[in-house]
Amino acid sequence: MKLEVQNGSFSYKKNLPILKRVHFSVESGELMAVLGPNGVGKTTLLRCIMGFLRWNEGRSLMNGEDIYTMSSRKLWQYVSYVPQAKGAFSDFIVEDMILLGCTNRLGLFATPGKYEKEQVQKVAERLGITHLLHKRCTEISGGELQMVLIARALAAQPTFLILDEPESNLDFKNQLVILDTLSELASEGIGCIFNTHYPTHALMRASKSLLLQKGGDTLFGDTTQIMTETNLENTFGVKTMIGEFETSNNTYRSVFPIQILPESEKAVQEETPEEVIAGVLILFSDSALLEKINRWIIPYNAYLIGRMEIPYRAEGVYMIYLTFDSPVEQIDRLTHRLMSLSGVQIKTLLSPKKKNRMGDNPKIIDYTGRRNSTYSKPP
Amino acid sequence: MKASFLGKQNHKQDFSRKWDFFLVLIPLVVALLALGIGRINVSPLEVLQSIGAHLGLGDALSPQIEVVLWNIRLPRILLALFVGAGLSAAGCVFQSLFSNPLATPDTLGVASGAGFGAALGILLELPFLGVQMVSLLFGIVAVMLTVLAGSSRQQGINRFVLAGIMMGSLFSALISLVKFTADTENQLPAITYWLMGNLDSANYYSLLLGLPFILGGIIVLWLLRWRINLLPLSEDEARSNGVNIWNLRIITVLCATAMTASCVSMCGQVGWVGLLVPHLCRMKWGNNHLKLLPASIFIGAAFLVMVDTAARSISAAEFPISILTAIIGAPFFIVLMRHTEGWKQ
Repeated sequence: MKLEVQNGSFSYKKNLPILKRVHFSVESGELMAVLGPNGVGKTTLLRCIMGFLRWNEGRSLMNGEDIYTMSSRKLWQYVSYVPQAKGAFSDFIVEDMILLGCTNRLGLFATPGKYEKEQVQKVAERLGITHLLHKRCTEISGGELQMVLIARALAAQPTFLILDEPESNLDFKNQLVILDTLSELASEGIGCIFNTHYPTHALMRASKSLLLQKGGDTLFGDTTQIMTETNLENTFGVKTMIGEFETSNNTYRSVFPIQILPESEKAVQEETPEEVIAGVLILFSDSALLEKINRWIIPYNAYLIGRMEIPYRAEGVYMIYLTFDSPVEQIDRLTHRLMSLSGVQIKTLLSPKKKNRMGDNPKIIDYTGRRNSTYSKPP
Repeated sequence: MKASFLGKQNHKQDFSRKWDFFLVLIPLVVALLALGIGRINVSPLEVLQSIGAHLGLGDALSPQIEVVLWNIRLPRILLALFVGAGLSAAGCVFQSLFSNPLATPDTLGVASGAGFGAALGILLELPFLGVQMVSLLFGIVAVMLTVLAGSSRQQGINRFVLAGIMMGSLFSALISLVKFTADTENQLPAITYWLMGNLDSANYYSLLLGLPFILGGIIVLWLLRWRINLLPLSEDEARSNGVNIWNLRIITVLCATAMTASCVSMCGQVGWVGLLVPHLCRMKWGNNHLKLLPASIFIGAAFLVMVDTAARSISAAEFPISILTAIIGAPFFIVLMRHTEGWKQ
């Protein structure tokens, strides 16, 4: 099963595009995160995907069939929607609330029977919320309510789950409960698309990511390639760093917001990739990796200005030291790729090149102009 | 005692299961008792005997009592049963439709419209059936105007509530205008008395005109009762459960307004029932319309028969029913609200 959007563009008002040529696809069993600043149109994107709003151009496809013209009964057999656990909802008993998820499979005048009740029981057991079944929706906590809404969506037995900020407004633990649930559902073969305000959640959980930027541009791809410091900086206008913690059996990565970038600097950054001198130290013990790493470095040879291999055979440790003069994105991409190898440790040192520093020559803003003035006549 | 039987969820389930059976029985028993109560008292046994006689078993009562029972009291009780059921059902679905505990059958202005129609009918000295028809017509006109005024490209349901309140006050003003121009000797008292609501004009002909609307509305809502649960949810939520929310809303509004217009056209503005009974039922049966709607219908029917019986037997002169629904209903409601958790949203 495949849910995809082809070249979707949408605007509420003419000449004010919210989404421009959005293009992505999610297979069942994949987890896709949608990130973007407030008000950029994350919820609008979800509504367009599901056909609540009609794309001005492009379309959403479920297994190749246009969602907008699909019968709603058929569509909602495949897709379930989990709204934010806030706003108006009626004071139902939790069991009834979850039962509502079965409505699509019932006839117009039918009422849920034994089969649907068993289904609710199963879903509740799967999510570990059986103790809530007889409580009222107004009595339970926000995290519990979110689980109930997920249960309601699962009661429809969907192949794809679309969630609108499922972990917002929740505490640490409940966020993990929701994220673990999503990971588990994905491993069971359900495709999930979720909006989130937490880049770290996308980084740690999602296999694919979609970044929505102001003005409607989007970046989509594998999380490792999309969730880079540069992309996040461009999307949110915030200087970010991606850090790592290692434990004995896992590496945890997290995105730290460092400082707000001034508007002008952000604008320049979009045009001019920051160039850096980078030193990359790669440490590993498995000799089989040597060939692989060397192969991966080949595409970056154009930027390579120095290279040293230091085998320490007595201890079975290899070290490679590389020096680059390159745009920072390229360094990011290479290091992220290398980091995906197990048993490899990487240290990267970056030094911005002088010609790129802001403020030295404020009159010359565009890239080519500055390059000419500084390159041809070095200070 | 009260806490254990109203408060706890687990008890509530067994409790309401038992009540499912009584629900159907209550209006029947109340109606049977009400048949015997009045200026001529007939004991329940005699009522049963008379029913038996109609089915061909045993002897009939005296002809005078037979006429009182079957030609005067029965149409009136039938009217009360159906008006009570219709107004409660309409109030119940309107509260869910607008996610607003204050919604009543009149929220879209239908009762004011129908009231204006009736006042106009009385002013024009139409016969009773004519008044009923004009009233029904204006009730529906009022709702159509409300829907026209409230509809726009932005699909917000609260616009309709606002438009309904506006239409309600417009028609209230028109009622005042009719009253102002009416002849103070006969027409004005008739209009005023009619607006306060009473069921004494019930006869089989007016029932024949009015009941199909109420019955039709109740049947459609009853069949849709599971889907009505989706009305208070947000539009996207409802749609993602495979329900065409706007069709559902339109059907609900059509049924509820047809029922209300028909009720008002038969017996004037019977206030409170549409607000009170659904809330009473919410406290006991919760917000699932699978149970709430049937409960509202049956309790509403029984409630209005009781109130109407009181209205016609409390004093020699007949009491307007709106006064009694409020005087009996409001304190009862407050007591219940304080002893249960009440409406929560």
